[in-house]
Amino acid sequence: MHHVRLAFRTLLKTPFVSTVAILSLALGIGANAAIYSMFDQLLLRPLPVHAPEELVNLSAPGPMPGSTTCNQQGDCDEIFSYPMYRDLERQQTALAGIAAHRYFGASISIDNEPSVAEGVWVSGGYFPLLGVQPALGRLLGPSDDEVIGAHDVVVISNDLWRERFGARTDVVGRTMVVNGRTMEIIGVTPREFKGATVGSRPAVYVSLAMRGAFSTVPYTGFENRREYWVYAFGRLKPGSSMEQAAAGLNAVYRPIIEEVEAPLQEGMSDVTMARFKAKQVVVEPGARGQSSIHGEAETPLLMLFSITGVVLLIACANIANLLLARGAGRATEMGVRLALGASRRQLLTQLLTESVILSLAGGLVSLLVAQWTLDGISALLPPEAAESMSFGLQPSVLIFAGVTAILTGLIFGLFPALHSTRADLISAIRAGAGQIAGGRAAARFRAALVTAQIALSMALLVSAGLFLKSLNNVTRVDLGIAVDDVVTFSVTPSRVGYDTLRAGVLLRRIEEELRAIPGVTGVTSSMVPLVAGSNWGTDVRVQGFECGPDTDCNSRYTEVGPAYFSTLGMELLQGREITDSDIAGATPVAVVNETFARKFNLGPNPVGKFMGFRGAARDSMTTLIVGYVRDVVYSSVKDTVPPVFYAPWRQNARSNFMNFYVRTSLPPEQLLASIPAMMKRLEPAMPVEDLKTMPQQIRENVFLDRMISILSAAFAILATLLAAVGLYGVLAYSVAQRTREIGVRMALGADGARVRGLVLRQVGLMVLIGGSIGVAAAFALGRAAQSLLYRLEGHDPAVFGSAVLFLTLIALAAGFIPALRASKVDPMQALRYD
Amino acid sequence: MTTLIRMEGIKKVFYTDEVETHALADIHFSINKGEYVAISGPSGCGKTTLLSILGLLDSPSAGTYELAGHEVANLGAAERAQVRNKQIGFIFQAFNLIGDLTVAENVELPLTYRDMPVSERKDRVAKALERVGMSHRAKHFPMQLSGGQQQRVAVARAVAGDPAILLADEPTGNLDSKNGEAVMALLQELHAAGSTICMVTHDHRYAQHADREVHLFDGKVVEPGIAAVA
Repeated sequence: MHHVRLAFRTLLKTPFVSTVAILSLALGIGANAAIYSMFDQLLLRPLPVHAPEELVNLSAPGPMPGSTTCNQQGDCDEIFSYPMYRDLERQQTALAGIAAHRYFGASISIDNEPSVAEGVWVSGGYFPLLGVQPALGRLLGPSDDEVIGAHDVVVISNDLWRERFGARTDVVGRTMVVNGRTMEIIGVTPREFKGATVGSRPAVYVSLAMRGAFSTVPYTGFENRREYWVYAFGRLKPGSSMEQAAAGLNAVYRPIIEEVEAPLQEGMSDVTMARFKAKQVVVEPGARGQSSIHGEAETPLLMLFSITGVVLLIACANIANLLLARGAGRATEMGVRLALGASRRQLLTQLLTESVILSLAGGLVSLLVAQWTLDGISALLPPEAAESMSFGLQPSVLIFAGVTAILTGLIFGLFPALHSTRADLISAIRAGAGQIAGGRAAARFRAALVTAQIALSMALLVSAGLFLKSLNNVTRVDLGIAVDDVVTFSVTPSRVGYDTLRAGVLLRRIEEELRAIPGVTGVTSSMVPLVAGSNWGTDVRVQGFECGPDTDCNSRYTEVGPAYFSTLGMELLQGREITDSDIAGATPVAVVNETFARKFNLGPNPVGKFMGFRGAARDSMTTLIVGYVRDVVYSSVKDTVPPVFYAPWRQNARSNFMNFYVRTSLPPEQLLASIPAMMKRLEPAMPVEDLKTMPQQIRENVFLDRMISILSAAFAILATLLAAVGLYGVLAYSVAQRTREIGVRMALGADGARVRGLVLRQVGLMVLIGGSIGVAAAFALGRAAQSLLYRLEGHDPAVFGSAVLFLTLIALAAGFIPALRASKVDPMQALRYD
Repeated sequence: MTTLIRMEGIKKVFYTDEVETHALADIHFSINKGEYVAISGPSGCGKTTLLSILGLLDSPSAGTYELAGHEVANLGAAERAQVRNKQIGFIFQAFNLIGDLTVAENVELPLTYRDMPVSERKDRVAKALERVGMSHRAKHFPMQLSGGQQQRVAVARAVAGDPAILLADEPTGNLDSKNGEAVMALLQELHAAGSTICMVTHDHRYAQHADREVHLFDGKVVEPGIAAVA
């Protein structure tokens, strides 16, 4: 307590210096705490379930002939067909159990109030395997997963229970509508449980056996072994290893592949068949649940964490320098304390207490910085991503900030403390002019710290420059569309009980109503949302192109409404676009893009040729190519444009959801307000989804680039400013120490310019050494970040040159004031300065 | 009389670059318990070096040094700190009070480095301040005191730990003559009460307050009649 009281007194004695130190640390620790919060939520935190370390994720990499649909739960290697999953569930004994889940978009209606939410189909073993206990009622169990289509019961999330039912305990037994089906609420999940997929927050849990019941067309996914859509995980038996579990599972899986599934494959080449037969179940740790975010977020978050780590290092170097300078000022005090019998350990304890209190204060203020940073990150994320995460200060973040602060105080206070307690005792008792022993060592250490800061800043500036230039490249991509004044939204009539026939009528009605809105100059629609990360692919047959067993005959496609190309500003090269006359019963038509024409050897005039893509019609190639359009963006701004064909959705019997695009001559914000009202009039039960402007849609499509660029640039500038403060401090201290020397030099005839040169040479040397090291480090960083860069090499000379120039200017600016002060030293006064 | 300090053949050589400086040469020297000794001599004669070795702030290059019957010349840093804390009280020319601490905390400082209960520390501080007539300034900070008052506080700090010997390095050097005399009177009082004192001074007038005076010149004891001759 004595040490703590003294420490506070010492820190308060120099409030300005202490404030600068605390703010430096707050910026460094706060930035790290914010990124740690993301890191923790997305990559570290285990599921809040019983013994999460026993959970394992299952996958079966290899050929998956037929249809595969994967989503945010994991990549496409991790899915199983429903029959295979059930076989494994029944026959395996290697695991304590396995369970399946599959997320879906849900339209829910409670008391006739519709809304959009996430839902998840779960197998009967899902909740028992996770060991989750209900907050209210009961959870789904094996008895809710016995008969296909017969379990109209739903478990709701704790959040939904609180938000929509006011946490009423009589919710169990009530009904709600999920995708058009009335279901009985049987229970509520515990508050901490948010499903088994990080990045998603399902509001409703429905039996896996109900998937078909949600489909408006006959559903084959329960029987078809060539439809892959189920994600599966399991729990290890006590004392069992993942290798043992995998061996046990494969003892069941391999015979099914060999004896049941291999004979089902048709037209598969020998090579592919061999790979198919060699497929095995892979067992991987599943404590963090099953999510594609783990893979997607790892590189960007590690990159951001590295950047904030460097910012903290730079801030810490400033603290070490500050403590060294302060230590020099307290040499007499340390000498006197030692002379009075204090042991070095006692003094070290005192000094480390001071540095830890300083860093703890920094840690406390850092929570504000962390919260601001998290708010900034939240603003950069698309709404759905932001909603799936917590941007408050979680307990783990508080612990992180506290531990970081203490470690920072101890590690970066140690050298200054060790150095300060090496006071020359004899000098200390002489006239109060205590000197620190080894002053040259301290000066070298200070210079080394600043040089390191310059190196780190250089590396950060280069990486920030690379990300900014990459973002610039992304924003300058010619998307081939003109959508500045276009608003988009989507609807799913099937989720509110529409069959495909009625859905088609409703969709056409919506188009008409939209055209009638004042200011609207164009309306169109598509089943695949444009620039939203969605991909539809199918094998096609094209006139004049041979598709063998191992030939890639796949093309992306979308089904669109009339005036699609003109409304979205796409350039039609030949033929015509999809029109109102392209309806069921008329000649099937399609429009293809340039890459499609190239891939399938259609030559310069694709219009008039035939292709086939759907079911039996694929082989008969009855679809007439009526238009040829320029390559334009499909699912992602950064993706190379794939081969795409556009077919009219009016010729498809399955058009039960749709994305609309509305061009307006008025400000698009007006449409954002009027569309929900119009839709409510047309179909009150059907929520409007993803209503936004197209520019917003495009921004969200590249949010990761934008987020990394903005954050890395902000952190790099912060780091450079901190380094500049450090450089200024060291030079100012150095000039103060050399006042007498400078006085002598001036007395001997040195003019102001020479003295300024003396100081600036110090700057130049540190920039040269630090900058060189930083440039070398930046090369390595550039290579590591290559996967995040768009159309840019990690060693872009312009970026490196700009970073060098910027850092040199900042360093010279930081050195200018001490240099100026040095040149104004009065030789007469300096020579009396002792 | 009991011998408190005994030095035999003490030498101190400083090495700087290629220059070898003999600060002390073959010093033989002793101080008895309860004695008041003044070490005097011109600037650069080795007074402060001798006092530093006496106070265990520095080690001799050669020779033996016994303090209260124990050889202390070659102790390790931690042991030296303990001996300094328990056996030696320092009075510095520049007072060397710590500006961030109150008068009472300054006096308490050497006691905080011992495992001494707080109540006993407070008791000793009160007595030490009373002894130098500074009780009324216990809660003030050094910068609020005059030079003479600061030196009295420094004396209180030196005696608070009840050391075997008080080492005073030019205790009047930073004071005017009036305050200098007052401090000398205080040292006389302490001596009269039984304290052993060794004072370094270049001022012959103050040296006369001591029981005996040791003259140093070029690192050697030059006056006869003292314990040793170079």
